[in-house]
Amino acid sequence: MPVERTAGGTSLIDVLDRVLDKGIVIDAWVRVSLVGIDLITVEARVVVASIETYIRYSEAVTQISPVSRPAVEQGHAHDDLVAENASLRAQLAVAKGAGRPPRPRKAARR
Amino acid sequence: MKKTSPSSSKAKTKPGAAAADAPSAKARTAPAPAVAKAHKHEGHTAAAAADGQGKYVYCVIHSADPLQFGRIGIGTKPTDVRTINYKDIAAVVSDTPLQVYDATRENVLAHESVNETVMKTHTVIPMSFGTVFKTREDIVELLRSAYDAFLDVLSKMQDKLEFGLKVLWESQEIVRVIEQEEEDIRRLKTELSSQKGSTYFARVQYDRLVAAALEARSERFVKSIMDELSDVSVASRWNKPIGDKMILNAAFLVPRDKEGVFDAKMKEIGVRYSKLNFRYTGPWPPYNFVNIRLKLERAKDAK
Repeated sequence: MPVERTAGGTSLIDVLDRVLDKGIVIDAWVRVSLVGIDLITVEARVVVASIETYIRYSEAVTQISPVSRPAVEQGHAHDDLVAENASLRAQLAVAKGAGRPPRPRKAARR
Repeated sequence: MKKTSPSSSKAKTKPGAAAADAPSAKARTAPAPAVAKAHKHEGHTAAAAADGQGKYVYCVIHSADPLQFGRIGIGTKPTDVRTINYKDIAAVVSDTPLQVYDATRENVLAHESVNETVMKTHTVIPMSFGTVFKTREDIVELLRSAYDAFLDVLSKMQDKLEFGLKVLWESQEIVRVIEQEEEDIRRLKTELSSQKGSTYFARVQYDRLVAAALEARSERFVKSIMDELSDVSVASRWNKPIGDKMILNAAFLVPRDKEGVFDAKMKEIGVRYSKLNFRYTGPWPPYNFVNIRLKLERAKDAK
């Protein structure tokens, strides 16, 4: 089967796979790691006057309320997102089980 | 580009959806979003946020100069995307009301689209979706505090691109191949179809052999694909496959100047494994290869 490359931002599922919990994540400690290359641990605290918005998996799902969605998009996007979120959450659960430290969500939300 | 339908990706999310439904119901009863709590502290930071404005952060890049990327920001109205600089690094931001962004199609694609625009000219460390800071000073503080870490990661990610690969198969099709190629299974299959009376034990044995053969084949395919692609990438990462048709869900970090080689290899592999379905995406910001977790604390003088 011929393999065609599709640009990153064209598939919502692949975007969600990445943007929700990867990259720079505001979390409970500073841990810098470059997977597959190296692992550096940095213990540092970032002190700021405020961090007000903080979104995580479960909260992201909480936010998906059909009322806030434009009518045109509704059925399609909502279904996609719910399905996607559910499967990502399942992945996350597995990842956590595999030894990632749990996220101290409460402490980080203030 | 932002509106493209991911219809091809819809089917495979279904298996996981039902299983994870319970936690989602639980999540809906979670406390009000973080932004609601912001009002409690409004008195302390009233001056900074009097206009209700925050800054949405997309990524961190290397740049000593202030840059503009156009009116491509997240939100209902297009907003200017620009940098907030500290020394030679910068956060790419746009103004936003202080709010929690829903992970809607528009919003996540806007986040990704800004990253992809910036990525055309810069090495980016992508921020995870939905991070809003209240003030410019907070972002400068973020850059200052984690400066060494950001600089280190930026230099390691310099001129590298991420590509994604998901490999799917139709297991029924593979079962037919297995039935032809594997002696034991073929014999059992023939027995099953000709046997009179109870076929229970033969059937159980057949199922077990087929499942083992499928797994062995999946492992063999995956290993050989990963081995070949590892030769043309600097790093790779395995994610958990989603659904029962997916046998591989991986990301690769590829030097910009090897993009063509990687691409050619991918296409060659695709031709060779004609029974497998390859979903090859990119270039992406290096989400799968950068994992920076930041602890934020409220400054003492902000009370």
